[in-house]
Amino acid sequence: MMHAKGLLKTFNPGTPIENRVLRGLDLHIETGQFVTVIGSNGAGKSTFLNAISGDLLVDSGSLHLDGQDVTRQNAWQRAGLVARVFQDPMAGTCEALTIEENLALAWQRGERRGLGRAVKAELRELFREKLSILKLGLENRLTDRIGLLSGGQRQAVSLLMASLKPSRMLLLDEHTAALDPKTAAFVLELTDQVVAEGKLTTLMVTHSMRQALDHGDRTVMLHQGRVVLDVSGEERARMDVPDLLAMFERTRGEAITDDALLLG
Amino acid sequence: MSLISLMGALEIGLIFALVALGVLISFRILNFPDLTADGSFPLGGAVAAIMIAGGQSPWLACAAAMLAGAAAGWVTAWLNVRLNILQLLASILVMIALYSINLRVMGAPNVALIGSPTVFSPLIGEVSERAMWVQPGVLAAIVVAAKLLLDAYFASQSGLAMRATGANPRMARAQGISTNRAILTGMALSNALIALGGALYVQTQGGADISMGVGTIVVGLAAVIIGETLIPSRSLWVITLATVLGAILYRLFIALALSADFIGLQAQDLNLVTAVLVGLALVLPTLKAKLRKTVKGNPA
Repeated sequence: MMHAKGLLKTFNPGTPIENRVLRGLDLHIETGQFVTVIGSNGAGKSTFLNAISGDLLVDSGSLHLDGQDVTRQNAWQRAGLVARVFQDPMAGTCEALTIEENLALAWQRGERRGLGRAVKAELRELFREKLSILKLGLENRLTDRIGLLSGGQRQAVSLLMASLKPSRMLLLDEHTAALDPKTAAFVLELTDQVVAEGKLTTLMVTHSMRQALDHGDRTVMLHQGRVVLDVSGEERARMDVPDLLAMFERTRGEAITDDALLLG
Repeated sequence: MSLISLMGALEIGLIFALVALGVLISFRILNFPDLTADGSFPLGGAVAAIMIAGGQSPWLACAAAMLAGAAAGWVTAWLNVRLNILQLLASILVMIALYSINLRVMGAPNVALIGSPTVFSPLIGEVSERAMWVQPGVLAAIVVAAKLLLDAYFASQSGLAMRATGANPRMARAQGISTNRAILTGMALSNALIALGGALYVQTQGGADISMGVGTIVVGLAAVIIGETLIPSRSLWVITLATVLGAILYRLFIALALSADFIGLQAQDLNLVTAVLVGLALVLPTLKAKLRKTVKGNPA
């Protein structure tokens, strides 16, 4: 369960380039719910995600994960609760480390790291088994550097890393945006599989309205740092992209000019 | 080149292998450009010299030197992670401060250790000719131990976290790694090794001198660069091996260049030779790639 209340975040306050990114954002997500988030550029999607992960601390408001107040915790302190896949395939993995070393890092997410060997034999066996699910042949390349993998492969491994240990919240930050359409479809399918298997509470930011409606079980739209649209259940099931667009325009009383949203 | 000067070069090379391993941790693993070495090397030397001169065990003196070095590295890291001072600047501040501290520790610009016990003296005994073999032998054992311990550490959970911190700090934090703590620990470890080098250096040179740290960082960096140019690898135990070999080769090159009469170089040309050597090591990979391309382009 995630509960965000009145989140405020302003970049460069008191300067000519002041930017009020989050303006009192409220959102409650039940355990096991898969929420997709859309919104135009500058709507606050990424900032919201960074606020949940702890990469950014909000100016005011409160954030609870499973009843735990994490508002003032930084990223590494809440890593035990939050798992994350970044938009940039290079960002979520360590290029210079091997596949098994990257997985070993994720295996201990949010735990104390001691002087024991990071990659043990039984762990290697588990990694091999998990990697074989991807059907990319990576189970035979455990000691290859992850920098040798393609963007799609790295993103698939990132997803695996995020689901290796249980989390209270899985954050997906436009994690297919940097991939070609075919690879993106593969990673999305994998996402659905991983989320369903682990019954993960998930927040997926996407630039595509199509994706937002096709995946997950609830869609919210952000605009000017607030939730302006929240659909789920029957209403959402009957919706198509034009309906979503129309609803958005009605809510805001203005036409959407961001091409990216329409073309997605 | 005589056998004595060859063994002498090997000896200094092994001491600087410890410095180079320290530099490897800061510059390569943590991605933290750190000039503290020029202060922590003489700090280690000063602490060890004053303790040995005061009648303490040479091994205890080495341990104390490492602790002092660790503290110096920790302060540099602290200035950076807590006060947000630029890495290079933080290390320069500590380096400058250490100059005064080293003078305080020694109480004078130099401390003589002629005739004092060292970590080598039990094995040398009364036969002073043995020093030529014993000193490089003991140093080699220490360097091998340091290398193996480092390899083991970087394969551990905590060591892996440190490598991730240097390579991708945002990812490291997302995995719950306190990057600040990893940097503090790593910088302490790095400068502890460099200070150990200083502590052993004064025991082979018969004393400590306030100016002994000048250029330490350049030599350490030279060793790292020569190592990774000669044996390019991504695997960590190969990298530490290359670093150790780089340090030894560097001193052998220098000894060779300075002893070859026909070149006409003298001891005061040391820094010039160093600069040329490091420059060569830096352009070598580019040259090699260019050469390979040319060969590929014109299959002869």
